[in-house]
Amino acid sequence: MKGFSNRWKDFPDYIIGITQEIWEDRGLATLHHYYSPDIPVRYPAGISRGNINTINGTLATLAEFPDRQLLAEDVIWSGDEDAGFLSSHRIVTTATHTGHGAFGPPTGKRFEIRALADCAAKADVIYDEWLVRDAGGIVRQLGMQPESFARDQIAREGGPEKATRPFHPVDDIVGGYTARGNTNEWGVRLSDTMTAIMSKDFSVIRRDYDRAVRTEHAGGQGDWGWGFAETNWMRLRASFPSAVFEIHHQIGRDDPMMSPRAAVRWSLTGKHDGFGLFGAPTGAEVHVMGITHAEFGPWGLRREFSLWDEVSIWKQIHLHTGSA
Amino acid sequence: MKGFDTKWRDVPHFIIGITKEIWEDREIGSLRHRYAPGLIVRSPASVVVDNSNVIAATMATLAEFPDRELFGEDVIWSDDPAGATPTSDAYLSSHRLVCTATHTRPGMYGTPTGKRVSYRILADCAIRDDAVYDEWLVRDQSAVIKQLGFDVIDWTRDLIAREGGAAKCVKPMTPANDVPGPYTRRGNTNEWGQRYAETITRIMSADLNVIPREYDRSANLFYPGGQDGLGWSDADQFWMGLRAAFPNATFTMDHVIGRDDPLMPPRAALRWSLHGKHTGWGRFGTPTGAEVYIMGMCQAEYGPFAGNGAWGEPTIRREYALIDETAIWKQILLQTGAHE
Repeated sequence: MKGFSNRWKDFPDYIIGITQEIWEDRGLATLHHYYSPDIPVRYPAGISRGNINTINGTLATLAEFPDRQLLAEDVIWSGDEDAGFLSSHRIVTTATHTGHGAFGPPTGKRFEIRALADCAAKADVIYDEWLVRDAGGIVRQLGMQPESFARDQIAREGGPEKATRPFHPVDDIVGGYTARGNTNEWGVRLSDTMTAIMSKDFSVIRRDYDRAVRTEHAGGQGDWGWGFAETNWMRLRASFPSAVFEIHHQIGRDDPMMSPRAAVRWSLTGKHDGFGLFGAPTGAEVHVMGITHAEFGPWGLRREFSLWDEVSIWKQIHLHTGSA
Repeated sequence: MKGFDTKWRDVPHFIIGITKEIWEDREIGSLRHRYAPGLIVRSPASVVVDNSNVIAATMATLAEFPDRELFGEDVIWSDDPAGATPTSDAYLSSHRLVCTATHTRPGMYGTPTGKRVSYRILADCAIRDDAVYDEWLVRDQSAVIKQLGFDVIDWTRDLIAREGGAAKCVKPMTPANDVPGPYTRRGNTNEWGQRYAETITRIMSADLNVIPREYDRSANLFYPGGQDGLGWSDADQFWMGLRAAFPNATFTMDHVIGRDDPLMPPRAALRWSLHGKHTGWGRFGTPTGAEVYIMGMCQAEYGPFAGNGAWGEPTIRREYALIDETAIWKQILLQTGAHE
């Protein structure tokens, strides 16, 4: 890999390796090298600029959850060393809440959630990023609820006027990465399935998904079979029935020793004008940043992992209704 | 697929298809030809002989859990040329299922709890002439019991009483009551089966240090009692806890399949047994000295992300292992008199 340290055998090795080095091996200062000085990182909770903010964010998280582990489930990637790579990294992260921080006073509870991170990398450096953590999953496992947690968060941040604004495309910064992924058939397939779901053609799930599919969604919610996948996608879409669905990035891969798989970054932007996952409709303008990974098998889509951030969605709703 | 109904495209299609037709589509009577007369179904809880008894057991389960659904997660199979007949090809299928069901009617689990359960099953079926003719099956009974809200030991003690006491109750499978069946082959020689068999054999030889090398650091693990795990430590704790309870038991690898199919990662299916005395502290509490037979089954999916070895060395990314803890407790309770 041209421009990368020769200690990495391939791109997944680099992504999995630096994640462990930064977090578990405490190499926060390596972010001066591994993250570009002005990197934009888009979280559902807001946008962060520059590796100093990333270092401080990492420090704050480790101060709150010192035993945090980040286990790499998959790296679905596109691009090359000249144009830049894009890694869509699926992580299972576990930690015990022993310190003060963004999740409030220590609860002593342990959580296990997924995170999906899209990172653009060139010459050993990450220079553009999109990250969705299952904040709703963390909040629930720490014994709270996303709706009330978001309300408390607004208060902790100084009230509705001062609270950090969740990410919305109007605030986006153009980073260095503008590619859209690759054209591999498995990415096309996942994009088509998701587009059908978001166009309210829910029969697509029985057509495209394996009857024994395992679906893992935001909030640590998951189950087997078509029923859960149908119902949970319906509830998300029903919450924002008129919102605009967009696919921003799409990767398909068919690698040795792996099922064919795909990674899609998507969003819903529009009004909270329906019942579903977020209570009575409020008309709030909401941006839902989502990432989905899928594995395909001989009987259809076999595993689906989709994340959105319930806390940031509730925060947008509370900031609109003023119920903070 | 010579000898099979032409509607089945391949072994997984046949296995997943007949499972749905029998259970969910209620073609229970079709077991009269889909299960051979006189066939033996061995599960840790019992040895059932003949398709008439399989029909009875299927109806008893559906009477208690009418909405039971069976999701076929995988079918890892091997060719069985030695079992072929002039009229049919033969295969051994190792089928991994997830079952979901609601406990709405009385039955062997007691009065209806109204609870919803989901649990795994691993079933090895020898098939030819469009029928299953020999079977080994492990159901995650302790997952069911826990989800119904019971304690596994108390429930097993109750079961012995409900079945008429120590003398009359259904006896768990042991080599003494096992009935030899027509399928005596040992699987295939594919590298992935060999690799997984060697890993489990080394673990059973107390070489637990094999785990970080042979398992992905973030392996997804699915263990008895519905316990899901993640990574090396959880794998270590499951296998350690099991072997520690039966440290001198004889471990036997009974069946090994490896496969590398299109659209799937390399994968493996094992059937094994532990037979010996409950002489150690571990998963089953205070050592009792009871002689226990454990039939275990497990499946693994491999992937390219290394363990603590060199990058590029394949490791286990997902592991599904099952034993029936109620059958183990039943053997312990019956021998120690603790069922009273």
